[in-house]
Amino acid sequence: MTAPIGIEPLLAISHNTLVVACGVAAVGFAAGVVGCFGVLRKRALVGDAAAHATLVGVALAFLATGRRDLPVLLVGGFISGLVALGVLVLLKRCSRTRDDAATAIVLSVSFGLGITLVSGITARGIPGGAGLEQFLLGHTAALTTADAMLLAAVSAAAVLLLVLSLKEATLVAFDSSFAAATGWPVVLIDYCLVMLVAVMVVAGLPAAGAVLVTALVVIPPVAARQWTDRVPTMLLLSGVFGVVSALCGVAVSAVVPRLATGPLVVLAAAFIFAVSFVVAPDRGWWARHRRER
Amino acid sequence: MFFENPKFRALGVAALAAVAVVLPAARAEPPAATVVATTTVVADLVRQVGGDRVAVDCLMGAGIDPHSYRATPRDADRLARAKLVVASGLHLEGKLAELLSRLARRVPVTAVADTLPRDKLLPVADNLYDPHVWFDARLWSLCVPAVVDALTKLDPDGRAHYQARAAEFIARLEALDDRLRDRLATIPKQRRVLVTAHDAFRYFGRAYDVEVVGVQGTSTESEAGLADINRLVEMIVSRGIPAVFVETSVSERNVAALREGAQARGHAVAMGGQLYSDALGGPGSGAETLEEVLTANVETIHAGLTGKR
Repeated sequence: MTAPIGIEPLLAISHNTLVVACGVAAVGFAAGVVGCFGVLRKRALVGDAAAHATLVGVALAFLATGRRDLPVLLVGGFISGLVALGVLVLLKRCSRTRDDAATAIVLSVSFGLGITLVSGITARGIPGGAGLEQFLLGHTAALTTADAMLLAAVSAAAVLLLVLSLKEATLVAFDSSFAAATGWPVVLIDYCLVMLVAVMVVAGLPAAGAVLVTALVVIPPVAARQWTDRVPTMLLLSGVFGVVSALCGVAVSAVVPRLATGPLVVLAAAFIFAVSFVVAPDRGWWARHRRER
Repeated sequence: MFFENPKFRALGVAALAAVAVVLPAARAEPPAATVVATTTVVADLVRQVGGDRVAVDCLMGAGIDPHSYRATPRDADRLARAKLVVASGLHLEGKLAELLSRLARRVPVTAVADTLPRDKLLPVADNLYDPHVWFDARLWSLCVPAVVDALTKLDPDGRAHYQARAAEFIARLEALDDRLRDRLATIPKQRRVLVTAHDAFRYFGRAYDVEVVGVQGTSTESEAGLADINRLVEMIVSRGIPAVFVETSVSERNVAALREGAQARGHAVAMGGQLYSDALGGPGSGAETLEEVLTANVETIHAGLTGKR
């Protein structure tokens, strides 16, 4: 019964706070960076469709394995997110459904299916099924070290991939017809970018849940876009905004009792966006207002 | 082929007609699943009082969280066909409340815990009380008369049968109550703390002198924030609590996070095992009645907090 002192809580930040902060900050950074190309390619809602579809995969992964390990569930969520994206592409190609309508259909149908599966599992009391509904809104506060490390690893991989393919991605984002004319596999690059967004959407599930995770890949890039026209700057700024919102959300939830962390992160991101919208030089509301006078 | 043969077709029509005649008749027949109980705990109560004279159909099976349970159309149908619906009450069946109140216009609905005197209940907000009353065996025994009344109204001939069984059950609950208290009293007072995923055990704590701390609040619907986790880790470490417990119908994620937080401070916390909370165990679990569940919970807690297994 020896109780070693252990690691003294750094500046009164508890172990749990530290773990959650690291995990969510990593996800926030990577989601912000990866989300930039989704926003630049005007694909913001595509990520949302993938996000809502992840619930199906999470539920099926649980049913197939009978376990609730985070990696297993996230792989399931990733696969169903990809399937939804595939359906989206097919729907656009093979029918005359418009872009926004196709996205709305895939989003709502897959979410409906996901909710049906999850509520079916909880209503039947399948052992260990309790807690699946946490993927709806996230369970940030209960992240363990293993969870956080998994999220950090996925985030690092996503950012690395994006940095390695930065030239291609930039070209496709700004001048896809030129890229196609000079022989770049534009469609393939496009799919890879969307896939990266899907990866970050899945990694963001524990942090923000299926309903809110899109905010992490959309709001920071849009806020960053207000400040700059250069892609590398935008990526970095977006990542930083992601981290700052993550840390703000975690901090508030660590101080005020009975407030869930995920929604707070999204609110913090929205606050950063609002500030950017008003005060950003050149593109901001205040700058434009002054020019017009 | 089969249906094209006129003879068979006539037979089919006759069979359909027979079903149409028999169905309403069968519905009017007394026994067959006449009482529908919402949770396994309430179903057990009705079975204890009703015995063979009552067929009990339970809406939510073992391991289901009643706070978030939503009725399916099939459930609504089962409820509407019941001769009597027995619910737990005090807003335990949060999502069913509206359905039950609409149902009450056509079918007698008894919410057993709603009949308890208010001064014996633990308030959670204005006019809102903690619904988990069955963890106090003596308090739960006060719900028995409501079931006797409801069953007697349905089946007046069974009055003596119900009253005799009820008296027996109440006596058993009271004896159990004493046994549980004695057993828990053997745990040193300072370590007699129950940390679980959600606040289902406040009546249990009051009745048996156990300090109870939940991560999630009284309902499983609210999500724990970081502040709640941090506060609990602090408490576990500072008081040297040896074990935390998980519940069968609630996710164990929060409890896992607690253990990790305490571990990081150099205080090892054991997983104290699963407690039954809002639902009884399934068939073959050895915890199919409330009495078995209370005994099993107390043994799990005793083993976890004394370190003896």
